[in-house]
Amino acid sequence: MSAILEAARVTYERGGRRLLDHIDLAVEEGSFTVILGPNGAGKSTLLRVLCGELAPDAGEMRLTGEPLRAIPPWRLAHRRAVMPQASDLAFPFTAFEVASLGVEGLGRGLSRADRQRLALEALDRADVAHLARRDYQTLSGGERQRVHFARVLAQLSAGRTLEARQVLFLDEPIASLDLKHQLALLDVARGLVREGVTVIAVLHDLQLAAGLADEAVLLQGGRLVARGRPDAVLTPARLADIFGVALAGPGLPPHPWSLAPHPAG
Amino acid sequence: MSVAAAPSRPLGRTRLRELFPGRRPLLFAGLAAMLVMVGIAALGLGATRIPAARVAAILVEAAAGQPTQGGDVLIVLQVRLPRLLLGLLVGAALASSGALMQGLFRNPLADPGLVGVSAGAALAAAATIVLGDALLTPLLGALPFGLLPVGAFAGGLLTTLALYRIATRGGRTSMATMLLAGVAFGALSGAVMGLFSYVSDDRQLRDLTFWSLGSLSGATWTKIAAAAPFILPGLVLTPFLARGLNGLTLGEAEAYHLGVPVQRVKALAILLVAVAVGASVACAGMIGFVGIVVPHVLRLLAGPDHRMLLPASAMLGAALVVAADTVARTIAAPAELPIGILTAAIGAPFFLWLLLRRQGGLVL
Amino acid sequence: MTALSRRALLLAPALLAALPRARAAEPRRIVSIGGAVTEILYRLGRGDEIVGVDSTSQYPVEALRTKANVGYVRALGAEGILSLRPTHVIAIEGAGPPDALRLVEQAGVPVIRIPEEPSTAGIAKRVEIVAQSVDAAAEGAVLAAEIAEGFAKLTAAREKVTRPTRTLFVLSLQNGRPLVGGKGTTADAMLALAGATNVAEGLNGWKPLSDEGLIAAAPEAVVMMAHGPSGDAPDPFALPAFAAIPAAAQKRLVVMDGIYLLGFGPRTPAAALDLIAALHPDQAGSMQP
Repeated sequence: MSAILEAARVTYERGGRRLLDHIDLAVEEGSFTVILGPNGAGKSTLLRVLCGELAPDAGEMRLTGEPLRAIPPWRLAHRRAVMPQASDLAFPFTAFEVASLGVEGLGRGLSRADRQRLALEALDRADVAHLARRDYQTLSGGERQRVHFARVLAQLSAGRTLEARQVLFLDEPIASLDLKHQLALLDVARGLVREGVTVIAVLHDLQLAAGLADEAVLLQGGRLVARGRPDAVLTPARLADIFGVALAGPGLPPHPWSLAPHPAG
Repeated sequence: MSVAAAPSRPLGRTRLRELFPGRRPLLFAGLAAMLVMVGIAALGLGATRIPAARVAAILVEAAAGQPTQGGDVLIVLQVRLPRLLLGLLVGAALASSGALMQGLFRNPLADPGLVGVSAGAALAAAATIVLGDALLTPLLGALPFGLLPVGAFAGGLLTTLALYRIATRGGRTSMATMLLAGVAFGALSGAVMGLFSYVSDDRQLRDLTFWSLGSLSGATWTKIAAAAPFILPGLVLTPFLARGLNGLTLGEAEAYHLGVPVQRVKALAILLVAVAVGASVACAGMIGFVGIVVPHVLRLLAGPDHRMLLPASAMLGAALVVAADTVARTIAAPAELPIGILTAAIGAPFFLWLLLRRQGGLVL
Repeated sequence: MTALSRRALLLAPALLAALPRARAAEPRRIVSIGGAVTEILYRLGRGDEIVGVDSTSQYPVEALRTKANVGYVRALGAEGILSLRPTHVIAIEGAGPPDALRLVEQAGVPVIRIPEEPSTAGIAKRVEIVAQSVDAAAEGAVLAAEIAEGFAKLTAAREKVTRPTRTLFVLSLQNGRPLVGGKGTTADAMLALAGATNVAEGLNGWKPLSDEGLIAAAPEAVVMMAHGPSGDAPDPFALPAFAAIPAAAQKRLVVMDGIYLLGFGPRTPAAALDLIAALHPDQAGSMQP
């Protein structure tokens, strides 16, 4: 498979500090990539540069072969969706309306009914369909996260009418979710990967990441320290060095939780 | 190791009609009906009693191009009709600008004055009156008739342009910076105007008072012809910003991710507001309350979707200003009350009622 | 007869000939805008012809009580004025908005504008123009003569004043800061007519006076306008800076009705005489109003 997203010598500075230092990265199409690292390593910054929100001070970014900054925002919105770490909402929309923001004005050949259907399906996939008519501002943090997840799912669905190759960016997507929904969300993400969508996520939970991801990207102090399969990257020596934690066993213990097998599809 | 999800809730057959704001066509029909009624009242009511049939006859004859005779013709065609049209223009401009500003600043407390256009127009008017009188009157005998509205309009636009430049760095406008710069400019404008009042003589002060008392009593066909080319295109273009403003409620980064051309939306919104409000203030002085409250009322009634909010605000604002003007010139006839009192008197109680009625209070 | 009244008499036939329309048969309906205009009209005996006045027409008292109120002098409405079916609108200079009056003219109602100049010549001119516009040339002449006589008495009384009182005219005391009448104000003109010295003549127009300025000015008397029907004015000597001026010794405060004092209308000679008597009691001698 070819690389869908490429970063070459990407550097980003702010306030005199170098937040990203000559990062070289190529993300395989249809893979699940996780960005890991201790606090302040630059994970979120890297994500924001990769999705086009921040312009790097040096280096190049390419999405599906095109320079990222050259892609007009509207077309870009069909190729990639971004789920933010935190999001506020200035006005009292309902959950359904928030999810609909993902399809408004996007996609080709979609009628109003089509857009509503996409939004509803996305809400259902994120397990917030029952909250559709609730005022977003009355929802809990976890419920709000799931509504945003629905929004980006809807955006991808709409985008698929125009673009075949898509990327989903997730920035700490499970931070406020309870256990059931954490696993459910990541399961949906894996489902998308099976459908051909590339997923790039920033996760804190090393064990979860190790169990999910095809590729791990380890950052420290703005520098890319290692990449590859998670078990190759997260060796005890690395864990001790980067995260300052000494483990008692031969490697990263397997994730203690695993859900019942899900029928394929 | 794979992670499998627990079986999710079965996909319910959610009725689309429940979610679709089916109220929307009803809302617009209601607003349109309100506009028609308010318009009829504005033409039929006034300090002079003119029977409705006669009013209709005058309008029909005038529309057919037939010459019309009678004192009441002047009242209907030169007094009431211009007031109605100017009121519609100004009300629509102020309310839709308020909605644009609230969407742009992502704050329900924003009003059209935040881009500096009102303060700039007021300052330009004061300067035109005081300096113009001092410099030009000795030469020309009197100030050219159109100088004051044109000056006010130009002042409003220039101020907005200046604030925009201050707030825009590297192609990106910071709304927070614009807000602060606007506050600073407002203070400066107030200070300079205080200075003008101090050095001006009675006559100049008096002219300044005229200008700042918001009123439609100076409505003429000339003013309408001057203001309409600035206000109407804005009203037509504003709904195109609806999607952008909806996206912006999530924040600028999220809007960008959704494909909204954020900078273009900001620049266009600011331009439309400056032009529309500048023209309104130049022709009718300062009329408060409309820009802030009308979008609020609509949000409480029908939700915050800008695709509804922008056109509906224009309609409701127009109706409010015309209704307020009609009451202002009939309730104490033959005297006229200042229109600002009426817009507040009509709008505020209704707004409070809506707030009280809403369960759970208003989450800002 | 004074020069003024002679002129008025000469003009009378010319005016009669110049009437554009045969309005002699039609009863006059006048909308009077401006306190001075209304007062003059009543003094000319044409009060009955007035159908509407503005809100500043506070003298005579019956004006606002018995006539329709067309609103504030600077916030008039064309339709409101026209609803009274006037034959004439007589408006003090500065009435408006200008477009409203223009619409009234467009409706075929003449709008006669009366200049506002605050001086003895100005009063005479106002009387003359108002009288002309309502065919009251004779009465106007009489009134003008009365006024001229009053001013003559005033001049005589003023000549008796050997030591002008240093006076300060305070328009208002907002937030403890006095707003005073400097050069070019109606107050300044009145003080001059009363033979007093205006200590604020270094200021131009109505200006706030600082505490130091007040003490440096050292007025011997303070003149203020009466507020409201009770005829009271706020006590300036309650302010600390005022305690340091000569006027404070005996609390020399002269309070007069605002329009009476500053209106620059028919009652001005009487007002000025009252003011002289109040400010120069010892030198008044045999001044009779």
